[in-house]
Amino acid sequence: MRVDPNPMPDLLAALNQTELEAQQAELQISTGRSVNVPSDNPTAAALLIQDNDQATFTTGVLSSISSVQGQLATASSTLGSFNTSLQQALALGIEAANGTVSPADQAAIVVQLQGIQSQLISLANTTYEGNYIFAGTKTNAAPFVADNSSPSGVDYVGNTGVNQVSIGSGYNLAVNLPGSQLFSSAGNDVFLAINNLIGAVQTNSGIETAVNAVNSASSYLSAQTVFYGNATDQTQSETTYLNAAKLQISQQQTTLGAADVVAAATNLSQAQTDSQAALEAIGKLSQDSLFTYLT
Amino acid sequence: MSGLFGTLSVALTGLSVSQQEMETTSNNVANANTPGYTREVPVVTAGDPVQIGAESVGTGVVLEKIESLRDPMLQIQINQSTQEGSSLNAALSQLQQIQTQFASSTSGIGADISNFFNSLQQLSPDPSNLTLRQGVLTAANTLAVDFNTTAENLQTQRGNIDQNVVQTVTEVNSLTSQIAGVDQQISNLESINPDPGALVDKRNNLIQQLSGLIDVQVIPTDQGITLATSNGTTLVSGAQSLALTTAAGSDGVQHILAGGTDITSALAGGSLAGLVQIRDQEIPDISASLDQLAAGLATNLNTANAQGFDLNGNAGGNIFVPPPANGAGAAATLSVGITNPSLIAASSDGSAGSNGNLTVLSAVATTPLAGGQTPIDTYSTLVGQIGTTTSNTSTDADSSALILQQLQDQNGSVSGVSLDEEAANLIQYQNTYQAAARVVSTVNLLLLDAVNLGMDSAEE
Repeated sequence: MRVDPNPMPDLLAALNQTELEAQQAELQISTGRSVNVPSDNPTAAALLIQDNDQATFTTGVLSSISSVQGQLATASSTLGSFNTSLQQALALGIEAANGTVSPADQAAIVVQLQGIQSQLISLANTTYEGNYIFAGTKTNAAPFVADNSSPSGVDYVGNTGVNQVSIGSGYNLAVNLPGSQLFSSAGNDVFLAINNLIGAVQTNSGIETAVNAVNSASSYLSAQTVFYGNATDQTQSETTYLNAAKLQISQQQTTLGAADVVAAATNLSQAQTDSQAALEAIGKLSQDSLFTYLT
Repeated sequence: MSGLFGTLSVALTGLSVSQQEMETTSNNVANANTPGYTREVPVVTAGDPVQIGAESVGTGVVLEKIESLRDPMLQIQINQSTQEGSSLNAALSQLQQIQTQFASSTSGIGADISNFFNSLQQLSPDPSNLTLRQGVLTAANTLAVDFNTTAENLQTQRGNIDQNVVQTVTEVNSLTSQIAGVDQQISNLESINPDPGALVDKRNNLIQQLSGLIDVQVIPTDQGITLATSNGTTLVSGAQSLALTTAAGSDGVQHILAGGTDITSALAGGSLAGLVQIRDQEIPDISASLDQLAAGLATNLNTANAQGFDLNGNAGGNIFVPPPANGAGAAATLSVGITNPSLIAASSDGSAGSNGNLTVLSAVATTPLAGGQTPIDTYSTLVGQIGTTTSNTSTDADSSALILQQLQDQNGSVSGVSLDEEAANLIQYQNTYQAAARVVSTVNLLLLDAVNLGMDSAEE
């Protein structure tokens, strides 16, 4: 069969192809990515967008968990201080209940109890990053306001709102308890108990009953504190889970989109060899024809 | 006719035909590198014998014709393959341009959607924080701007393709008019010479160039050829060419008209078909998907925001300027309608510290849009589709190029000039010429002998 006497177009096409392959390999090596445009691997390109979404979500949740943990830790330690103060009030109440205390000492105890009362109001008005953490969702104003006309000596001006923060996909965590539930719950009103204790010591009557009420309110409050411990535990286990998930997403992103540099380098080298071969073939195309030998 | 004069006459045919054969070789060698040139071969036959008595005597050699060696079937296949390849390459080049806008998984619309919902997540633990609220507005603005830029770039590209279509139609008209002209020359010559080689090469070259632009079929007729597009529109009929025209359509792009008939959507090959496919199908499809995504996101987020209360305790309004009702143009015009970060309705109970409505806003991320997918899935599916279309077109273009290359190799093996072959022919024709000349010289000597009969030829 007669062959095409002009091999040049085929050789140039081969040269073009090897140069394309070299470019592709160079791009992979220089960017470190195997998917530089969607057509490189359409499925991977689509999955990488979803992976990036998950990675952004996971990083975002981890960041908000860290903020929530700060809030929970502040609440927890505040309640700790609150309880310590209550224990001091209890000790003072027991001391006052002892019949041997002089009226002067009793007056001193009242002053101390009043100090504790103010301290408790101040603790119940604790802020975290400018927000009152025991105000329900009305976090922009101090929830407990001293009020002498009130039986408990304070008014709760917050609300009963509870915020939920997403700490995982479809996993919402309640991050606060309203002050009304913690400190002013009917039957376990801490401020009422303290105010009653102060009144009892002042009048030197019913101190024991008042002490028992403070004790009961303190136990109730300790039970409520568990909420913060549980919430912190949940954020911690979710952090562990999310960090593992983040790693997995990152590995998937690498598997999907990172260039196999060794393979790319091999391809580049192969393309260069092919290109060299094509160039040599073109260079060595016989310049001679039968005409050269005609004399 | 016989005897020495007969021999002389036979030898003369040899001389004459050898000269013409060498001329053909010379023409082939001269055109060895001429694109589209078809090698010519002399077709010679023995002259009709004459009967002298009982003997049949030859009358030398006759040059029947100089024939161009071409395979019309291959030419048709090359044209078809060129049409297919050009269409694919034109589409591929545009698709490659389109997909650069969707190339990154960590920037662009997809990442913007992720970042927007992340900004809501960041706001969730501290919903009254103005810096975090500003973060939400900034993320919304970035999302809107990227939607605008992507949609506008697609429209700009569509406009460029539109101009390209008009230019291509002008080129088509120029080529069809040239083809008609050459066809006229061929018709004029064909009455004298049935194989007007170079002119047919010229016409074939022009038809192949035309095949790069539009789908054409060559139909041989008594008056030359008829060129028609695959949907039957005649472009050239003999010496007449029909100019295509363009006119702006109601869809804002140029339509291609053949004698008043709109053939835009009927084009099946050549770069015009590829350009029209991207201009009228791919870009509008991608734009519509982006519009659906932008409109769905904006509407759902506006609805979600309206369910809550802003930082001042007022009922939430729109975050985005409401998109057009049918969604058309939503991506290009998407914009954030508020500049005050306190207007983000994070609260569900009207108090500043409530984040209850952020859950409603965040739920938009997992709420299916009109297409049945969540926003990020809608976007990633779109990117996957663009990638698949580009990748498939690239594969098809590669195979088409290979087929065309093989067809051209095959055509070269039929029609290409081989210098070795021409040199070998030259040697052969030279030898024939020399031999014929020797015969003439010998007959001359013999005639001298005959004329000087009885005289010593050495005395001459």
